Amino acid sequence: MSQPTPPKMSARNVNVYYGEKQAIQNVSIDVDTDNVTAFIGPSGCGKSTFLRTLNRMNDTVASARVEGEITLDGENIYSSGMDVVQLRARVGMVFQKPNPFPKSIYDNIAYGPRIHGLASAKADLDVIVESSLRRAGLWDEVKDRLKDSGTALSGGQQQRLCIGRAIAVEPEVILMDEPCSALDPIATAKIEELIHELRGRYAIVIVTHNMQQAARVSQRTAFFHLGTLVEYGSTSEIFTNPREDRTKDYITGRYG
Amino acid sequence: MNGVAIITLILGLGLIAWLSARAKAMRLAPAASQTGDRSRKRPLLHSLPSYHGWYAALWVLGPALVFLAIWANVMPGLVTGRVLQDPAAAALPMDAMSRSAILSEARNIAQGNAQAAFDPRANALIEPYRSANRFYSLGGALAALMLALAGGAFAFTRIRPDFRARTKVERVVMSALLLASLIAIVTTVGIVGSLLWESLRFFSMVSPLDFLFGLKWSPQSAAMGYGNENAFGAVPLFWGTIFIGAIIAMFVAIPLGLMSAIYLTQYAKPAARAWLKPMLEVLAGVPTVVYGYFAALTIAPNMRDFAAWIGIHNASSESALAAGLVMGVMIIPFVSSMADDSINSVPQSMRDGSLAMGATTSETIRQVLIPAALPGVVGGVLLAVSRAIGETMIVVMAAGLAANLTLNPFASVTTVTTQIVQLLTGDQEFDSAKTLAAFALGLVLFVVTLLLNIVALQVVKRYREAYE
Amino acid sequence: MNAPVSPDALRRQPTDWKGDAMRKRIASRYASERRFRRIGLAAILMSAGFLAYLMISMLSGGLGGFTRTEIAVRVDFPKAPIVIDPASLRGEGAEAVLSSVNWQALTDQAATSALGKDGAWIAPGAWLVVRDAVKADPAILQKSVTLHLPASAELDVAAKSEGQPAAEAAYARLEKAGLTSRAINWDFLTSSDGTDPTQVGIWGAFKGSLLTMAVTLLLSFPVGVLAALYLEEYAPRNRWTDMIEVSINNLAAVPSIIFGLLGLAVFLNVLHLPRSAALVGGLTLALMTMPVIVIAGRNAIKAVPPSIRDAALGIGASPIQVVFHHVLPLALPGIMTGTIIGMARALGETAPLLMIGMRAFIASPPGGITDPATVLPVQIFLWSDEVSKGFVEKTSAAIIVLLLFLLSMNSIAIYLRNKFERRW
Ligand SMILES: Nc1ncnc2c1ncn2[C@@H]1O[C@H](COP(=O)(O)OP(=O)(O)OP(=O)(O)O)[C@@H](O)[C@H]1O
Ligand SMILES: [Mg+2]
Repeated sequence: MSQPTPPKMSARNVNVYYGEKQAIQNVSIDVDTDNVTAFIGPSGCGKSTFLRTLNRMNDTVASARVEGEITLDGENIYSSGMDVVQLRARVGMVFQKPNPFPKSIYDNIAYGPRIHGLASAKADLDVIVESSLRRAGLWDEVKDRLKDSGTALSGGQQQRLCIGRAIAVEPEVILMDEPCSALDPIATAKIEELIHELRGRYAIVIVTHNMQQAARVSQRTAFFHLGTLVEYGSTSEIFTNPREDRTKDYITGRYG
Repeated sequence: MNGVAIITLILGLGLIAWLSARAKAMRLAPAASQTGDRSRKRPLLHSLPSYHGWYAALWVLGPALVFLAIWANVMPGLVTGRVLQDPAAAALPMDAMSRSAILSEARNIAQGNAQAAFDPRANALIEPYRSANRFYSLGGALAALMLALAGGAFAFTRIRPDFRARTKVERVVMSALLLASLIAIVTTVGIVGSLLWESLRFFSMVSPLDFLFGLKWSPQSAAMGYGNENAFGAVPLFWGTIFIGAIIAMFVAIPLGLMSAIYLTQYAKPAARAWLKPMLEVLAGVPTVVYGYFAALTIAPNMRDFAAWIGIHNASSESALAAGLVMGVMIIPFVSSMADDSINSVPQSMRDGSLAMGATTSETIRQVLIPAALPGVVGGVLLAVSRAIGETMIVVMAAGLAANLTLNPFASVTTVTTQIVQLLTGDQEFDSAKTLAAFALGLVLFVVTLLLNIVALQVVKRYREAYE
Repeated sequence: MNAPVSPDALRRQPTDWKGDAMRKRIASRYASERRFRRIGLAAILMSAGFLAYLMISMLSGGLGGFTRTEIAVRVDFPKAPIVIDPASLRGEGAEAVLSSVNWQALTDQAATSALGKDGAWIAPGAWLVVRDAVKADPAILQKSVTLHLPASAELDVAAKSEGQPAAEAAYARLEKAGLTSRAINWDFLTSSDGTDPTQVGIWGAFKGSLLTMAVTLLLSFPVGVLAALYLEEYAPRNRWTDMIEVSINNLAAVPSIIFGLLGLAVFLNVLHLPRSAALVGGLTLALMTMPVIVIAGRNAIKAVPPSIRDAALGIGASPIQVVFHHVLPLALPGIMTGTIIGMARALGETAPLLMIGMRAFIASPPGGITDPATVLPVQIFLWSDEVSKGFVEKTSAAIIVLLLFLLSMNSIAIYLRNKFERRW
């Protein structure tokens, strides 16, 4: 890392409101491809809300309103020229609860490439499905039953399927909102391993309540509290030597 | 003494019993209930005074009213018996038909339901009827009063501080509740029983196989004495019912209902939804006779003109199409509300998952929501079909009576419900196959709608459970 | 864990979102999105359009049914072939005197002398107007007065829309002479079925509907509420309870005509209750309405939070007291809403009533629940079958009355729901 690359996404002075209520206050942050970024903070502090502003999923909430500027490769994603369909294809998302579609495993992965027209022939699609499942670390477990329903998999497998589904459209950023909170430790370990492997190719942002997890998988950590960004820096620094007392209290388990 | 008066009297007695029993109970527990001494932990009375009141009232009303109900059914027989003892009755003819005709005429005049006798022999019996009526109704009234007083007296003697009036009263209330619930079973049994009974009589005249698989339906010919063979083949009716209710109507109702539900749940702004949803409810609330009239008066002629315009000249003015279209419109709100429920019970996370992939709303709806909601929608459509094939007035007014087996929507077909109405219009003879056939058709309709409902509810239930 | 794959084999070209092909593709996806949305809107607008079409055609066809065409006829009482002392019409015995007169002949004669051969276009029931005029003011017997007599059905049709040529011609003549006028037909609201469309009214059917609804309500409401209470609050989990629940759910889906067959087989053939009577109609509809009330009632009772029950039980109330003092009052608005909706359905119901013979021609309003009666929807059905053209607008007019009745019931239900709906 001799030369600092420009950040993949950056947010400047972002405020988010749900109706009258302000959920995010004046948050500025940069996210880059070389590092996995973790968002931590007590429940209700606005981590999910902020994450959802990064691919405009808040548009689906009627009462939500976003102020400020968020750019992807220097382009404001809230400008009128930005197309949400394209934005969301470039900024993928994995949710807290695995949400495979009630379709076959194959069709789950092929969903994105199909709607975006990324494969012109069946053979191309097969390649995409296989490579996505391999990268999601699921191929060996499901290669003989691609026609089975995605909802018939175990929770951990479902979550990896959802990650595979997200990377099948070759996104540039992947947002993960507590992707392991519904999973057991073994499944969690697999997802963490997966995040390791995906790092460098995609900018990854992960929301987590688990301090150890944040420490294990991320290189940079952002601590949110009551809708504000309290501290943002390298993970090792935040965990060993936080600048703010609030951060220290939270990490040492005083509250949250 | 007339019925209203005696019932009023007994109700009055019940009120008196309630008041006096309550008063007595209050006197028994002066400390607890009159001085309002709340510091006493345990009142002398086991039950509140009003429960003693209810206990007494129930004893006054119950036996007396039950007796009156029985008496009202028994009395006509007793009255007739007494009239027959009368010397005037000796002049009655022996044959049962004219005998009962004269008797009922005399009875009607005696009760003031008729003015003058058609048969002079009835006149002699009017006075005996009147006196017998007076005798028995007075007797019944007196007996009922006695019962009421006796019941009241019995209840009154039982009022003691430790008497568990509340428990007793509550047991009666519980029985009333249970009885009310059992009416549903009684009704079901009544439906199944009466349909089965009359159908069995029908099937003793017409073979069930001929009925279920026969291709020719012409009950008039049977009624005119040409025999029951080949007159009661119901297949054309079944076809007509399916053609109108399950095919044409669904062609209208499924796309429009489904798309309306999609628009309402996924696109409409809250303000628009606040208007459009009640509009659909209004459509569901229009009585079917209005739809029928509209179909027959407005839609059917238009359909015929339309058929002529596209070059079909033998189109019927009672086409399957007109009835089916209007029935479809009637079913739209039904399909739409079922689809609405199904789509709404698809978890939001599914929708979010698709949108987060960069799918547009319509892609999400078509490729994720509808496949996910499909079992629920299918269940709803089955319910809608069961509703449509049981619908009567639209087809009675707008579909024809000709039992055709045809695929031509401009031709006239007839349906099960139309024929039930037709068969039971005019003279009903409960020993002719023509009248009884209506019950056999009713049985088929009942069984089919029941099965459709059971299957549909099962599908919907399974589907709901999948997302819980 | 995974078979080793060379990373390059998996690496795909980043998607070219700015390329022409992709832009075109996205544009067409948005186009299809708009199309889909418009189809949805069109679907719902078609339903709205149909409703509007139905309402407008009923209104335009039916409003005329509330009016009638009248012809001004000069009646010269002194010259008329009757001799009544006006004094005899004041006080006792007036009715007897009135009924002794042949008003029909008087009216016909007056019409003929005033209008010539067009006098034949007076309605057969026009004499009633003459009689009532005399009854109201006996003094006119010494005068010549102009009365507005109702025109016959044919002329009425000609006046309002397209009639037979003869009637059209007559109407044109009378109108030119300035003799015709349009007035509200109060008789339509106060009289019963008849054979002449100018004389029919809906009061008989309306009263029949009221009586039938009264029977239905009195039977189905208590039974429905009690059954709902039992099932929701006390019923043990056993086979019987399951059977009751299954019965109720199925009864709610049984086609209404089946209830008619039940009524015919049981109430008429076994119990020998009077045919065509509001009693039997009410009984039949009560069986149909009861499941609706039970289901609505159970939902309303379920919505009462358990904390209220616990609180009441905690201060020592018995289970029955809890339900009747606390749960039932709170659930009542919901139950009422369900009941009104069930009653509205019963009010519009036709088929089961046809089965039990309520399709008879009933020319006078029923006096009680055992008298032969008809109800509004059946009356509509009967009139819709009449060949005479004058009945068309009467049918639509009766539909307007029925719809207004239903509308007001539903408004009450909605009002109740909004007023008492509580969110716990
Ligand atoms: N759709 C919504 N409408 C209104 N308020 C909302 C909505 N979603 C979230 N909020 C509010 O915004 C605030 C932030 O919520 P958010 O879900 O972002 O918190 P979070 O940090 O993700 O919490 P958790 O760790 O529990 O997931 C909360 O106070 C929440 O109540
Ligand atoms: Mg969250």
